[in-house]
Amino acid sequence: MKDRILQTLHDLRRYAREKGYEVSLFFHVEDSYLMRFANSAISLNTNEHLIRFEATAYDGRKRASYEMITNLDDVEALKTGIDTAAEMVEHAMPLTYEPTIPVLPETFIDESNWDAELASVSNEERLAYFNTAVKGLETEEIRLSGIFSNGTNVLAHTNTRSEHAQYFQTSDAQITAVLSHERLKWEVSAGQSAQRKTDLDPQALRAELAFLVKHYREDPPQQLPLGNYDIVFGPAATADLVRIMNWIGFNGGMMKRGYSFLKEEEVGRQVLSPLFTLTDDPTRRETFPFRRDFTGIERKPFPLFERGVFKGFIWSQDEADEFGAQPTGHTVMHNSLVMAGGEMAVDSLEELVAQRRENDLLYVPFLHYMNIVNPSQGVVTASSRFGALLLKADGSIAIPYNVRLTHSLKTIFGENLAWLSRKTVPHNTSSSYGARNPTAVIVPRFLCVNDLAISHSNDSF
Amino acid sequence: MREQLRREIERLKSLGATYVDARWYPFEEQNYLMMWNGNLKVTDASRESGVGVRVLYRGAWGFSASSDLSNLRALFDKAFDNARIAAERVTFPVRLAEKDALQASFESPCRIDPFEVPLEEKVAFLKAMDEKLNQPGVEQRTGDLNFIRKQIVFLDSEGSEIEKRITEVFARLRVSGRDEDGVSHVRTFTLGRRGETRGWESMDMEYFAEQAERIVREMNQVRTAEPCPKDDRAVILLPGIMYLQTHETIGHALELDRILGYELAYAGGSFVRLEDFGTLRYGSEKLTVRADATLPNSPGSFGYDDDGVPAQNNLLIDKGILVGAITGRQMVEEANARARRRIFEGSSGANRATAFYRVPIERMTNINIDPGTDGTLDDIVRNTERGIVLDGERSWSIGSNREQFHFAVEIGWLVEDGQISRVVKNATYKGDTLKFWNSLSAVGDESTWEVKFVDNCGKGQPNQVMQLGHGVPVCRFDNVRIGE
Repeated sequence: MKDRILQTLHDLRRYAREKGYEVSLFFHVEDSYLMRFANSAISLNTNEHLIRFEATAYDGRKRASYEMITNLDDVEALKTGIDTAAEMVEHAMPLTYEPTIPVLPETFIDESNWDAELASVSNEERLAYFNTAVKGLETEEIRLSGIFSNGTNVLAHTNTRSEHAQYFQTSDAQITAVLSHERLKWEVSAGQSAQRKTDLDPQALRAELAFLVKHYREDPPQQLPLGNYDIVFGPAATADLVRIMNWIGFNGGMMKRGYSFLKEEEVGRQVLSPLFTLTDDPTRRETFPFRRDFTGIERKPFPLFERGVFKGFIWSQDEADEFGAQPTGHTVMHNSLVMAGGEMAVDSLEELVAQRRENDLLYVPFLHYMNIVNPSQGVVTASSRFGALLLKADGSIAIPYNVRLTHSLKTIFGENLAWLSRKTVPHNTSSSYGARNPTAVIVPRFLCVNDLAISHSNDSF
Repeated sequence: MREQLRREIERLKSLGATYVDARWYPFEEQNYLMMWNGNLKVTDASRESGVGVRVLYRGAWGFSASSDLSNLRALFDKAFDNARIAAERVTFPVRLAEKDALQASFESPCRIDPFEVPLEEKVAFLKAMDEKLNQPGVEQRTGDLNFIRKQIVFLDSEGSEIEKRITEVFARLRVSGRDEDGVSHVRTFTLGRRGETRGWESMDMEYFAEQAERIVREMNQVRTAEPCPKDDRAVILLPGIMYLQTHETIGHALELDRILGYELAYAGGSFVRLEDFGTLRYGSEKLTVRADATLPNSPGSFGYDDDGVPAQNNLLIDKGILVGAITGRQMVEEANARARRRIFEGSSGANRATAFYRVPIERMTNINIDPGTDGTLDDIVRNTERGIVLDGERSWSIGSNREQFHFAVEIGWLVEDGQISRVVKNATYKGDTLKFWNSLSAVGDESTWEVKFVDNCGKGQPNQVMQLGHGVPVCRFDNVRIGE
């Protein structure tokens, strides 16, 4: 596949140059498999083999793109796509800035994130994984839902100014298992992110589910009174809160447009808690990283916050062109966000539950349907879901109905941040909208924020 | 191609498949243009084609899709293999509700094909709008146009063959600016239904210019306004937010696959239970809601769904009582069996896929609220002692069973003693779904009723983005918490 894609890029580049076009050429090839469970059955078993091709034509300050879902054999159709982009650009309107067409410094092939064994997991193996993960936990009323999504993702590109090409091949798997009570409507969940087949561990998933199911069956449900709580977030919740900073935090273009809660003058200042350190770290394979960006810049660990001090904005090439900034190697499909762990020796849910505590702790593993109430204030809202626990000061446990949290990120990651567990874990944040784009964020296993208000409390599951 | 597809469908039937269908997209084209502060940031066109195959075997679904049509036999075999393994874990064997075998076609109403309009003309339109939006107080201004054109050929093992040609036009203008504290505020205009067709003729320069002027004026009013108070009062929702309230807390809550637990791994469930149909008081007596896929000229009207079932107009809520759901062939059979009574007489024709490479699932059509008898917007305001008029979605977040919600809106106008008193900024409201709909105290007449288009409804795994519509009047709800 690799040689064929690179050869096709080479041939198409030659075609474009012969025609006198200025174009960049981009392939995205995905081989995706998804087994979906609902009501303890396989509700959908699907696979997709899709080849996307995008040609972007440039004419000075003008730019236009043409995308196709096609197949590699149809070279004539691919050439027609290039012709179409070239024709479109004649009629486009000039930008107020000159878009950069990068010269790739060398041919870069990165297959280090690809594991043939994970990419070729079979239907039978996907089913066996789930059967192990929920063995003995399903009943007539406790039903399994979930997904096992895995596949291979290939990105390859070049342009008419570069003799070289870049090629990235990744394997990934995203697993979510939900056990829900059909009549009582409670639901618990556990997930796993894999970049190699050896990352798959259905027994670990089972242990987490079993622990939660036991408590949800035995401990009393409770509507929480409105008020302030010390809240421990699980990795899914923390990853969602961190990930949203991609849009309303450290993105330079969004800041310039007034859609960020961080300001230019805050670079170098203490903005968040000294406990908060966040890095874009493409050396961490669990994040499905890009080690070069699409302009050929070598990506190295890029500090975003160091002990709460904001270190700087990230700039993609296009936003750097528009706003006169220096690109920072962030012309990529996703970053590799890694939040540092802390000092707290609480590495598992069992340890969190067993921990001595002076106040009640509300454990929120998952935030459902997070949305941005106001980007320039960094205010977000979401509801708890999937396995929340009220860990009472007296050592007992109650099962809280879902609650709503509406807070600014500066409150959550600011002075109220109490502690972080020392252990960090990858949480898979891949979305299956559009093209496959495996993504994960590394976060502390637990993160505790004191004195956070809940603004709504459900009276049932 | 059709003959090949028929042969493959028959072959899988002979191998033991209970049901097979194929959706062949000869083409789906999209043209998207986006201008931001005078920069034509996106000039994008796309084209895709391919086939998606769905196979039912021993009560389980298998699906496979490919853009490479050189080996259809392998594609059908893969779908069949996927169904065979799925059949190893079945709890409720899939059965499909009866339907007629149809030879039919559908074409959405379009007078001027937007794909025949020169790119220069589209760019000139955006440039003209950008100039209208470029006013004092405006820091960010965007205009975007999204045109979609597709041909879908559906064939199934029950003898149906349906061809659809659909053209969609979506357009949006948006401005934002900051207040004295540096907090950004936004105001948006989104094109809804106008007239009997939706092609390039929808791009009425004069109408858009009026809307551009309005959103600039209102955004500047918000920028300099006082914050929204935090209290309980009547909220009067204009169609620009009423459609989203309907979408999130009626539409999604009444998708039958959600009710049956098929979305629990991701999007969530529904507070609605099977025993609620026919008895649950969902809203006040003023609330009548229908799923109307026959509404002329809307993205939620598509002729035939991807089960091959004709579009229908069905009641969902009748004078406040829950009576119907958004359904496809599979879910109605399962729901009736699980409820041990016949709740649904058949599919309501709402099973749709967003692309050839996605499997059909229950999707909203046009989820509409009937106009009421409480007069015009002015009448409703006049009859409100203490309230707030709200418009424009800014953020929305809904509980996993659609049981509660929080919305932030673009603009609010306080109402005191039957009159609009002033604009407020950072307006929000929240509530519990059933309590909220049961507090519905006024429904505007036809003069307030608008059809809003939705181009980005997300659902399912793998995710699918669907287009649909909502016809909604102005509505008033009592004792709603605002400003949090």
